[in-house]
Amino acid sequence: MAPHASINTQDIADKARRDLLQLLEGVRGKKNLVIEKALAGPVGLFVKFSTLQEYGVDRVFFLENDNVDSSQRNVIFLSRAEKAKQAQSIAGQIKRLRRTGSTDHEFSVFWVPRRTLVCDQILEEAGVLGEVNALEFPVYFVPLEKDVLSLELDDSFSDLYLRKDPASMFLAARALMLLQQSHGLFPRILGKGDNAKRLADLLTRMRSEQDVTSSADSSAGSIPSRLGLTPSMAIDSLIIIDREIDLPTVLLTQLTYEGLIDEVFTVQNNQAEVDSSIVGAPPSQNTSSSSKDASQPSKTSALKRKIQLDSSDKLYAQLRDTNFAIVGGLLSKVARRLQADYESRHKANQTTSELRDFVAKLPGYQAEQASLKVHTSLAEEIMKHTRSDLFSRVLEVQQNLAAGSDPSIMHDNIEELIARDCPLTAVLRLLCLESCIANGLRPKDLDIFKRSILHAYGHQHLLTFAALEKIGLLTARTTSAAGYLLPTAGSGGGAAGGGPRVTNYNAVRKTLKLIVDEVNESDPNDIAYVFSGYAPLSVRLVQAVIQKTALAQSSSATRGLAATAPPASAAGTASQGWTGFESALASIRGATVDETQVGSSKDAMRARSVLAGGGGAGQEKTTVVFFLGGVTFAEIAALRFVAAREEGRRRIVVATTGIVAGDRVVGAAIEKRGFGAS
Amino acid sequence: LKGKRGISFGEIARAAYDEGRGRLATELLNYEPQAGKQVPLLLNMEEDSIALDKAIESGDTDLVFHVLLHLKKKLPLASLFRTINSRPMAVALVESSAMDQDWELLKDLYYQDDRRLDGSNLLLAEALAQTETTPKIEKLRMAAKLLQDSRENAFQVKAIDEEQRLLRMQDAFDKDLADQHNRFAGLSVNETMFRLIKMGSAKRAQRVVSEFKVPEKTYWWVRLRALVAKRDWH
Repeated sequence: MAPHASINTQDIADKARRDLLQLLEGVRGKKNLVIEKALAGPVGLFVKFSTLQEYGVDRVFFLENDNVDSSQRNVIFLSRAEKAKQAQSIAGQIKRLRRTGSTDHEFSVFWVPRRTLVCDQILEEAGVLGEVNALEFPVYFVPLEKDVLSLELDDSFSDLYLRKDPASMFLAARALMLLQQSHGLFPRILGKGDNAKRLADLLTRMRSEQDVTSSADSSAGSIPSRLGLTPSMAIDSLIIIDREIDLPTVLLTQLTYEGLIDEVFTVQNNQAEVDSSIVGAPPSQNTSSSSKDASQPSKTSALKRKIQLDSSDKLYAQLRDTNFAIVGGLLSKVARRLQADYESRHKANQTTSELRDFVAKLPGYQAEQASLKVHTSLAEEIMKHTRSDLFSRVLEVQQNLAAGSDPSIMHDNIEELIARDCPLTAVLRLLCLESCIANGLRPKDLDIFKRSILHAYGHQHLLTFAALEKIGLLTARTTSAAGYLLPTAGSGGGAAGGGPRVTNYNAVRKTLKLIVDEVNESDPNDIAYVFSGYAPLSVRLVQAVIQKTALAQSSSATRGLAATAPPASAAGTASQGWTGFESALASIRGATVDETQVGSSKDAMRARSVLAGGGGAGQEKTTVVFFLGGVTFAEIAALRFVAAREEGRRRIVVATTGIVAGDRVVGAAIEKRGFGAS
Repeated sequence: LKGKRGISFGEIARAAYDEGRGRLATELLNYEPQAGKQVPLLLNMEEDSIALDKAIESGDTDLVFHVLLHLKKKLPLASLFRTINSRPMAVALVESSAMDQDWELLKDLYYQDDRRLDGSNLLLAEALAQTETTPKIEKLRMAAKLLQDSRENAFQVKAIDEEQRLLRMQDAFDKDLADQHNRFAGLSVNETMFRLIKMGSAKRAQRVVSEFKVPEKTYWWVRLRALVAKRDWH
């Protein structure tokens, strides 16, 4: 194994598929598969159902439906092991099958990503542990894209911040550890936020555990680790961003194409479910029809159609990260080019060879045309949203709050939105945004808003408020947890007393230039284009590490300047880390992490550097940016924008516990039950 | 020996413990970096709180749960609560798992810690789970009672009180304007007004306005929407 090859996400997918198929082979004969719903999507990212069938899977059931039948003798459960609920449900179903089943079943459980003591205990108490063949299926990261790795833990945000359950942090540490095992230690671990600190500590701890296992027995030792790990040649650093330090970015409405698709339709596992009346029916209709009849309500309007959204679709790869404002223009450009291509072939001298060429390219055209049609309809539908009165009202409030104008001016607006029965998530996002940016609401204002929300949406939302306050999204100004961080206080971040403080946006807005007024959306010169003028703090922090000069100059940066000025930091490795931005960091919530990892044994390190020779030094290195608690599509777009600027010197790989958006963040707190008779 | 790679202090400690030298074993275990190996041994040695601390240190939630389940079986609840009390991660895990399966435990926990708001919210959630209005109101009353004598929860108490009045009012509307498919019970204040106006019962809507002191602006928006909806209907 080449120890320091740069990170290739395809390898991760391949390994996951191999592991799963190997496990399936281990169970002889045909089998029924019972899969946890939340796992089905991620598994679908690396293995197709047809492949599963080749490996003897007859039918697939969802664990939550509790409807697996006795059609096959072998029953396999595939479930995450961190939650007791799943284990209980599995135990229940095994008992049910044993009672009602006609055949003598053989049960297997593939625990993802590991078998836990707790799950064993639950199965034991149910009296079924003995007849279950328990195996581990170690998937951690699943690749969503070449540059995006995700744990796809849907509730990691509420687990971490509402329930304070660090299970997903532990899994994240494991996942990053696996990366280190195959690619070498992260030479430098940078991070911001209390949980980022904890994660970094876990990584250090696991490393020392690793040192012991490598020479004693090896329970975790599928990877040959005779030698201690040494710093990687292919990776230059890991940057951990705790979601908690920058909540406003999640609360704002994303304005990139992909971001808006997520806001309007919700993207899960690279797929979005869209009403087929919008995008046309799934069967291969005549592709020559214009996009107009797609928007006409068809007979099958009730049906939902799944749309694959990833960069294998060239058109989407081009559109996804752009600001929505220019998507229309891009679409019509592509449409015109397609049209021209199509017709030029007709006019061409009709020799047989030219015709053959044309016919060979035809499937490509048809695919492109189909994709164009889908995205035109999607864009039209999103346009309907963005043109609505409520949408522009919400956006107006957001922009004002982000820009730092006095929040109380916006209160009438918010009151009106509530009275007009605007969706609760949108209203809560605005209030939380104000609370996060302005360090809590005045107690009097907060009570007024709470009252009108209870009146408009129901008194069950008393529970919603309690949850929001626990997460720290919506607080009263007097609460001690909402104290501003003074730039002078606590140079060591969390070291300063007074409990957790929140990010001081008034200070950071200036020092990190979060507001960029003159941003150009069609040819962006700054990451602020993803929110039409607001630069996500999280990505600014990443820039503070890898694009120091560009960031320092960005006030004067015109379009040409930023593009042509190569960051001086690339030349000098000496000024790595947070250097130069310490004061900005001090006014951001939580601890600051900056650790350097060196090899445990000098000999191995020397040997390796000899092996690598001089050639390794110049190659482009990978920076892993890990978002603990989720990342938004807008932030991914912004990071891709940064990566494009760094091309040749650096690759950026985004890793995260899951993809989040404001609705899901606020939704984690919302009480779903009402006072009506159920 | 310290500082050498590849020495398992866990095994040495186990040997020491088997020899009956518990203190030494505990001491030795401090050098064992793998929590997975420390914890079960510590539990064996009945060093419960040390085991819990080590499990928490490891960050491995599975280990923490393992210790917690062990303790829960062994200790009376009160002393279990005392043990976890000073350890926020343990409390969080107990809360989070009890939320899924054991509400009574949660109530006890909140009661012992004097976390009234949390306890009251629990009752609130139970009220939501009730299907009939009367037990709903009863649960709400209990939720309010828990909070009664503290000033900081005045808002909460008032809101719970409001919901009780609203439920009673809606019950009355349901009797007067019997409609099996569209019951009032469970609607929010604004939704109640909306439906009343749409049904043409402006007088009753006015009663809601005065009962809950709905601001004029809100009322006008609701009325506007309701009237628009009504016209569309015809």
